[in-house]
Amino acid sequence: MGRLVNLWRNLVHSNRVDRDLHDELQAVFELLVDEKVRSGMSFDDARRASRLELGSQEFLKDKVRDARAGAGFDTLLQDIRYALRQFRRAPGFTAVAVATLALGIGANAAIFGVVKSVLLDALPYADSDRLVRVYGRSPEGVLFSMRAAIVQTVAARQRSFESLAAFDSVRDAVYGGEDFARVVRIAWVEPRFFKTLGVPAALGRTFDDDDRAKGHVPASGAEIGPDTARVVVLSHSAWQGLFAGDPAVLGREIRINGLPRAVIGVLPPGFVGPNGRADFYFAFDLVPALGTGAGWLGLVGRVRAGATQEAAQRDIAAISADLGRESGNVRAGVWATPLRDTMVGSARTPLLVLLASTAFVLLIACANLAGGLLSRSLSRRKEFAVRVALGAGRGRLVRQLLTESTMLALAGGAAGLLLAQSMLSLLRTVARPVLPAYAELSLDPAAVLVTAVIAICTGLAFGVVPALSVDRLDAQGALRDDARGASEALRPRQLRGVLVACQMALCASLLAGAGLLSRSLWEMAAAPLGFDPSGVLTARIRLPTREYPTLELRTRFHEQLAERLRHIRGVEAVAIANKAPTLDPRRDPFSMEGAAKDAAPVVYASVSDDYFRTLGIPIREGRTFDASDRAGAPPTAVISESMARRYWPAGRALGSRIRLAGDLVTIVGIVGDVRNDLARSDAEPMAYRTHRQESTQRVAILLRTRGDPLALVKPLQRELAALDRSLPLQEAMTLTAAVGEGLAARRLPVMLMTAFGVLALLLASVGVYGMFASMAAAREREFGVRMALGSPPFAIAGLMLQQGAGWMAAGLAGGVLCTMVIVRLLRNVLDGVPPFDPIALGMAVAIMLGCATVALLIPVLRATRVDPMVALRAE
Amino acid sequence: MSARRATLLQGTLDLLILKALSARALHGLGVSRRIEQITGGTFVVQPGSLFPALHRLEESGWLTATWQPSENNRRAKYYTLTKAGRRQLGEEAAQWNQIAIAIARALEA
Repeated sequence: MGRLVNLWRNLVHSNRVDRDLHDELQAVFELLVDEKVRSGMSFDDARRASRLELGSQEFLKDKVRDARAGAGFDTLLQDIRYALRQFRRAPGFTAVAVATLALGIGANAAIFGVVKSVLLDALPYADSDRLVRVYGRSPEGVLFSMRAAIVQTVAARQRSFESLAAFDSVRDAVYGGEDFARVVRIAWVEPRFFKTLGVPAALGRTFDDDDRAKGHVPASGAEIGPDTARVVVLSHSAWQGLFAGDPAVLGREIRINGLPRAVIGVLPPGFVGPNGRADFYFAFDLVPALGTGAGWLGLVGRVRAGATQEAAQRDIAAISADLGRESGNVRAGVWATPLRDTMVGSARTPLLVLLASTAFVLLIACANLAGGLLSRSLSRRKEFAVRVALGAGRGRLVRQLLTESTMLALAGGAAGLLLAQSMLSLLRTVARPVLPAYAELSLDPAAVLVTAVIAICTGLAFGVVPALSVDRLDAQGALRDDARGASEALRPRQLRGVLVACQMALCASLLAGAGLLSRSLWEMAAAPLGFDPSGVLTARIRLPTREYPTLELRTRFHEQLAERLRHIRGVEAVAIANKAPTLDPRRDPFSMEGAAKDAAPVVYASVSDDYFRTLGIPIREGRTFDASDRAGAPPTAVISESMARRYWPAGRALGSRIRLAGDLVTIVGIVGDVRNDLARSDAEPMAYRTHRQESTQRVAILLRTRGDPLALVKPLQRELAALDRSLPLQEAMTLTAAVGEGLAARRLPVMLMTAFGVLALLLASVGVYGMFASMAAAREREFGVRMALGSPPFAIAGLMLQQGAGWMAAGLAGGVLCTMVIVRLLRNVLDGVPPFDPIALGMAVAIMLGCATVALLIPVLRATRVDPMVALRAE
Repeated sequence: MSARRATLLQGTLDLLILKALSARALHGLGVSRRIEQITGGTFVVQPGSLFPALHRLEESGWLTATWQPSENNRRAKYYTLTKAGRRQLGEEAAQWNQIAIAIARALEA
C-alpha cells in the first residue's frame, strides 16, 4: 500500500519530489561547508572541499531517483519519449516498418484463422475422427449417391461401425400457411443420424425409430406414398429466426408443405450436417424405399470403439468387391473416406497455397524490416558513439534500442490485428461459397502470437545487434571514421544483399503462382459456355407434392405458367426446366439399350420445347422436342454433341435407344455442348428429356427478354400469384449473375493470391530500393570525389549496378527454385493451362524485374547527380 | 579501504543507518558522521550510497523525514526512526548477531 502511495507521489508529483531532493542536498552541502569553516578552513576552500566530498549533485540525484519506487518506469518513459522523437525524425522509415509489420502479421493471422477453422478445428460432432462417409463409386472413381438397397446391404454386412445413418440431400419446402408462406430447407434423415454424429438436442430430443414416417420417402424428387412425417427437429438458427428462440416451441404444431407437424427438439447452435445446412429435419424409413432405382442417399457411419478408420475403409472395400462379384455389375462399388475429407472438400488445396503465400509475404516483410533496421542502426553509429563518449553504458544503449524495436513491433502488431480482423470479416462474406459449411472464421490467438513473435524477434535481432557492436569499436574510432566518410562496410552490405535476393526469390514465385491461377481462371471464364446468358432472367419455384402429385398436373402448371409469361411485355421467349444451366447440375447414370451395366453418369435435365431456342443452344442434328413428345407417346431424348461423340461412332447416335432416368428413350436430336461445371474448361456429356414425359417438383423459369431482365421480376411474380398464390418465387436473378456465382468459388483464391503477389512485389521493391539507397548514401562522398576527378555519371551508375546486380540475379535464380515448389502445389487446381505456362511465368519475371529496376534506378540516378562540391563540403 | 569493503555486504548499510537513527533524529550529514563515530571510523559512507539508501528506507516506511531547523539555524531534512523502523532494527540486529556468531564459530573451527 505504502509502495503504491510512493509510486503515485514519485510519478505524479515528480516536480515536487525533485525540488525536495534538491533542497535536501543543498542543505547538506551548506551544513558540510559550515562544518569545514568551523574546523578552520577558509570559506572558499570549504566550498571546494565540500563539493569534492559530495560529488556531482546531478549524479547524486540520479542515484536517489534510481532507488525510488517506479524508477524503471521513469527511465522507460524517458526511453519512449526519446524513441518517439527518433520516429518523428525518420517518418519514412517508421511508416514503412510499421506498415510492413502490419501487413505481414495481419495477412498471416487472417489466413491462418481460415486454415485453422477449416482444416484443423474439429468438426462440430462428438469424436469426429471416428466418423466415416460412404459413397457409391464407379470404376473411374466418380463418386455418387447410394441406392437405398445398397445402403441396406452395407449396413447388414459391415463389421466395423457401431452406427450408420443414411440421409437425403437438403431440399426446399414451404413453411407456413396460406397467408404466410416461406421457403425453408429441409433434410430427410434416418432416425439414428444425430446419434451417429454424436449430436444431442439442445432442447427436447432428437429422433428415435418410432418417429419414422411410414411409407413416405423423398426419393429423387418423386415421393413414394403419402407424406406421413408428423414430427420435426429444428435447427438452432431456424429456432431463433422463425420462433424467436421461444422454449415453448416444443410440441407446437407447425405446417410444412401444407401438413401439420410437431416440433420435438432443437439442435445445438452451429450444427451443420454432412449434407449442408437445413432448417428442419424429418425422419424416414429405409424399407419402403428399397425399390427406388436411382441413387439419392448419403451415408455416414461411426467406427466402433477399438476399430480404426482404415479398418472401416478396408471393410467397406471388401463389401464393394463382394457386391461387384454378386451382381456382375462392377459399377455397384462403394467407397469410404473420413468425413472430414469430404467436408473440407475442394477448399484444401487453395487454402494450403494461400497459407504458403502468406508465409512468403511474412518472410519478405521480415527481410524488409531487417534490411531497414540494419542500415538505420549503421547510420546511427555516430549517435551511439557520441552517447558512449558522454558516458552512456552499453546496457543503457541496448535498453533504448529494445524500447524502440518493441514500440515499432507493438505498433505494427496492433495495426496488423486490425487488418486481420477486417480481412476476416471481408472473407466471411466473400468466401462463404468456397468454404465448408461448418467453418467459423475467427482470429486464432496462437497464430497471432506466433506471427507477432517472429516479427518482433526480427526487429530485435536486426535492431539491437548492430548496437552491441558499438562499444566494441571505440567511440573515438567511430566518430573519426564517420567524419572521414568511409564506404559502407562489407559485412552489412552482404547481409543486405542476401536479404534482397531472398525477397526477390519469394516474390517471383508468388507472382508466378498468381499468374498461373489467373491464367487458369481466364481460360475457364473465356471458354464458350455453349449458350447465351445475356438478357435472360432466371427464377425458381417448387411445386409441393400435395398440390401437384402427378406428372400431368405438374406439366399442366408448367404450360399455363409459360403461356402467361409469354404475354408479358418485353419477353421474347420462355423456357421451363428442372434447372438453369450451370446451376447445381444433376447427374444420372444411363446405359445403352440391351447393355447389362450402367455407362458413366451424364448431366441430365428435363426441359420445355422452347428451352434450346430461349438459351440459344444450336441444333446440330435431328430435332428438339415438340408437341408430338406428349405424355404417353414413345419417350424421347436429345443429347449433346460430346455425348454423341463419346459413346457412338460418327453419325450413329441419332435414332439409338438408351435407358435414362428409368425409361427406354429414343434419341431424336443432337444439340451443341453446354458447360455445366464452370471449373472445367471442357463440356461434360449431357442428355435432355421433355418435361411432358419426365419432370420434378423443382421448376426453373428462364425468360429471354428485351431490355433489363430484372425489370420483369415484378410482372413474373404477378403472373405466378395469379396462377397459384401459395408459391413463393425464389432466387430471381439474371442468368449472367447466376453463371458468375458458379465461378465465384474459383475467383476468390485467385484474387487473394494476386493480392498477395502485389503485396509481395511492393515489399520487395521497397527492399531493393532500400538496399541501393543505403549503398548510394554510404558512397556519396566517394562518388563526389570521383566526379570531381572527372568520372562520367554512367561510370558511377555502373559501379552501383555492379554492386547490386549480382544479388538480383541470385534472387531470380532462387525464384526459379521456389516457383517449382509453388507449381507442384498448384498443379491440381490448374485447368486449361500447362503448369509451366510460359506466358504466366514470363509475365511474373517481367513484372518483378520491371519493379526492381524502377526501385534501383531512383537511387542510382540520384547518385549520378551528386554535386561534387556539396558532397565534399559536407564534411 | 574498509569502508569500500564494508558496503559490499548487502544490508549492512541499512542496519547502520537504522542504528545511527535509534538514539535521535538526524539529517543526512549527521547520519554519515554518526556512523563514522559509532563504528570507530571503520565505515565512511559515501553520499552516493547514503542518500539513495535514506530515500529507500523512507519509502519502506522505516523512516520519516521532516524539515527542521538545524543546530546552526539552517533548515535541514531530518530523518526519524518509525515504530516499524525500530522493529526492523531489532530484527536486522538479531539476524546480524546470528550471522556474526556463526561466522566466528566457523572461523574458529
